[in-house]
Parts: sequence; C-alpha cells; structure tokens
Amino acid sequence: MSQQIVLSEDHRDCLQEISNVAMGQAGDHLARLLDAFVILSIPHVALLSPSEIAMAVQTVDNHNVSGVCQGFIGGGISGESMLLFNDTSFNDLAKLMGYEEEVSGTAEREVLIDATNILVGALLRGIAEQLDIEFSFGPPAILGQHQELDKLLSSKNVRWNQALVIEVGYQIENHDVQCDLLVVITERSLYYLLNKLNYLLD
Amino acid sequence: MPEQNKMLNDFRWIMDVVQTIDVGLVLLDKDYKVHLWNGFMQNHSSTTAEEVIGYSLFDLFPEIDEKWFRRKVQSVYVLKNSAFTTWEQRPYLFRFDNYRPITGKAEFMYQNSTFIPIQSLDGSTESICVIIYDVTEQAVNNIELEKVNTTLEYISRTDGLTGLLNRKTWEDLLEKEFARESRYHENCSLIMFDIDHFKKVNDNYGHPAGDEVIRQTADIVGESIRKTDIAGRYGGEEYVILLPHTSIDSAYVLGERIRKKIAAKPAFYEGEVINYTVSLGIASFHESLKNPTHWIDCADKALYESKQSGRNNTHIYQYPETPSDGG
Repeated sequence: MSQQIVLSEDHRDCLQEISNVAMGQAGDHLARLLDAFVILSIPHVALLSPSEIAMAVQTVDNHNVSGVCQGFIGGGISGESMLLFNDTSFNDLAKLMGYEEEVSGTAEREVLIDATNILVGALLRGIAEQLDIEFSFGPPAILGQHQELDKLLSSKNVRWNQALVIEVGYQIENHDVQCDLLVVITERSLYYLLNKLNYLLD
Repeated sequence: MPEQNKMLNDFRWIMDVVQTIDVGLVLLDKDYKVHLWNGFMQNHSSTTAEEVIGYSLFDLFPEIDEKWFRRKVQSVYVLKNSAFTTWEQRPYLFRFDNYRPITGKAEFMYQNSTFIPIQSLDGSTESICVIIYDVTEQAVNNIELEKVNTTLEYISRTDGLTGLLNRKTWEDLLEKEFARESRYHENCSLIMFDIDHFKKVNDNYGHPAGDEVIRQTADIVGESIRKTDIAGRYGGEEYVILLPHTSIDSAYVLGERIRKKIAAKPAFYEGEVINYTVSLGIASFHESLKNPTHWIDCADKALYESKQSGRNNTHIYQYPETPSDGG
C-alpha cells in the first residue's frame, strides 16, 4: 500500500467520461423524483491526500456545513461518499424532499439522510452500471451538523494517504439548495477499478 | 426428474433461510400489500403469514406514518435505489415490544430498516423488500453513553457546592462575550461580589456552616438573575455575574436587589441563625478595556470601594474621562 499510485491520462479521462455520463443520468432521475431541474457541475476527478479534500470542495462555503457519509462496496471497489450541505439551504432542501411541516431536530437529520441517499445513489448507480458491477450501500451516517468545514473533515481519523476523489456540485433551480458530493474511493480498490477501466479502454 | 428435484430443493433451502434468518423480511407490492412475511416478522408481531399476506400494510399496522412511508418507497421505485431509516431518526418502523425479561433493556425494539427495490423478470421494479434489523442493544448503549456524557459535561462545567458555573467555564464565556462586545459595542455589565467577613462565619460556626452560607448565596443569585445572565463561583466566597444587554443602571438595580435579599435572609445551620451581608462592585463594558482580565479588575476595584466604605453596599466602577491612552 505504500507505493505511490499513478493515474494515467487515459485512465483519468475514462473516469471523467464515466462520471459525466453518470451525472447526466443522475440529473434526469433526480429531476423526475424531485420535480425540479438539477444543475450539476462537471465532475472533478483527482487523486488526493486527506488534507487536500477540503480544497476540492467548491460549491458549499466553509462555514456552517452539515456532512453525511455513506459507504459503498461491490466488485472489489469500495469507498465512501460524503455529501456536504450548506446550512442556509436547509429549509429549501426540506421543501424539495416533500417535508411540509416545520423541520427541526430528528426531522432535520432525516432530511439530510434521505437527501444523501438519493443524491449519492443516483450517481453511484450510474457509475456502477458502466463498470458492470453492483454496489451495496450502508445506511448514511451523519458526520456532523452546523460546523466549519475544516472541523467536519478533520475530526475523523483517516487511515489512507491517497484516494481517488470524484467531486460534484449540485444546485437546484428555483431552490436555494447547494451541496457538494465527494466520492472517495480507497487505495485498495484502485487496482480493481483500473482493471475495469482497462477493459473499457481496450 | 432430477433437474426439477434440484430446483425444488434449492427453492426449499432458500425459503428455509428466508424464514429463519434473524432479520425481518417484508415484501410489498405497489399497492403496499404484503407478499412475504418471514419468521422474524411473524414471531415479533405475533401474527401468522396467513393473517398478513395479501393485506395492506397500513391497515395492518396503523402505527406506520403512511405519508412518510410512501415518500420513502417512492424514491426506491424512481431511482431503483435502496433507502434507509435508522433508529436515530425513527426508533422503529414496526412497534415490537421487548421480549426478553432479563436482558432486555428497552421497552420496545429499536430498528434500522432498509428498503430495496426488487426487479421482476422483465427488469421493471414491481415490488420492494423491507429489511428490519433489531438494533436495540446498540441504541440503548448509545443513549446511555449520551446520558453519561451530558452528566459529565455538566459536572465539568459547574461548581459542585453551588451548582453555578465554575471559574474556568465562566471565564471562557466571559472571553466570548468580551470578543462580541469589542465588535458590537452593546451594553454589557459585570457584577463581582463577595461575602463580608466570611472568615468569621467559618470561625464562629464551622466550615460546614460556611458551606451552607455559600450555597444559600448561590441560590439567591440563581433566583434573581434572568436566563441570559451568566453566574459563576469565582473563588471561595467570591461570585461573578455577567449581564449581556444590560446597562450599568439596570445592573445596579439587580446588584442592589441581590444585596438586600441576602441581608434580609439569614442562613440556617443546625439550629444556628447566621446573618451575613455581601459587598458588590460593578463594571460595564468599556472601549478602553484591553482584555477580559482588565474588565474583572475594574469590577474588583469597585468591589474594593464597597469594602472600604463600610461593606454591605454596591459601587460602580468609574472609567477615566479620557479613554484615549492608558486605563
């Protein structure tokens, strides 16, 4: 595990293309489910160290962020997705998810969990389909609420040096909802992932 | 027909596993009618499969929040993607009473549930499977841990004898308030007071009586201040109260009220009646203050004046006319 992983230009382009296609599908699914137009940024694919993750976050600002994580595994590839929400978008997010009542306390957690599950699921399904694998998902877990982004990211003990990160920003038209999705794929799975990519590239 | 026998055999063991596995499995069609109700569900709900299969889930279990449940299931159908709910959001989906008389720690079963899409042969999603996990043990442990943490936090923040904030916690809050005042220049006042001739109380009546005096003084402070005021025990017989959004005049009124209450209400300890008084010093926030310690010093100086002028009274710290330099 100690050796430095290198992502070739071809592999990166291929992953970029897979992510783009998955995003397109995800946007379509989400629009149907939420009945709103979803504006997605172009996915950003890079190998990052833990300390670089905060810098990869583009859409949400650094203050008052809530984060939710969800693990996935399948076909030798595993990782965790992290969705970061701006706290200012909260009421709109709840409305979007069909919560008409005043949102507070546990309901707030549920909105976060549901939104994460939906946004993450839509993207990862698209990626899995193209790689011809199927992911199992664990239940989303709340990493922290209403915190500084740095604090949210640093509080956990990270046991990896480098990981493949796919970053996507979401905005929803006519709603004040902004969030950032990071898919972090572990070093250990990169071997399987690159194999799959080679197969697609040939 | 060995081929057919093998298929039947395979089906048998799969059904055996489904029936006996220690998680709940429920299969629902698009009308929310139950199609599978495994052993776990039968046993915990005290129903047989015959009583449940073919009937609507909402009719069978009115405790399920229908609107919420439909919303959850809708996302599974549209996205062909699992959905989750954990005990932290909802303690349970189905209300199952605790069944273990000795080791059962909760009144009911805490549950995590997963909703997964089930595809029919043509690839369309026609039904969903709900998986119910019993997480009572984990939930109860977490809840207990949280309780302990809350208690520990309370203990670490407060003074054991009086229940007021301890010095460290109070000073942290003062520092925050000082930073806020430095930015917004709002009204904010600080009262510092101590018990007059406290050493005599200890000498005449003993230390336990002295403790009772300290405790009673804290009680009077507690019942006199507002929710937004921050009271702490600063030292042995020294108290501090931080009063956000409070002018020096209002602070003086509060200080005098506390002083008079204390003077009028003796402490009782083992038949002894202990009359005692307090002296107070007040300093409002001022631009010339360099740091929180400086603010405390100013209040302390006013308190010293009260002591000098005969005790059992209140003094306000007067800032120098020209705050331009020094202080």
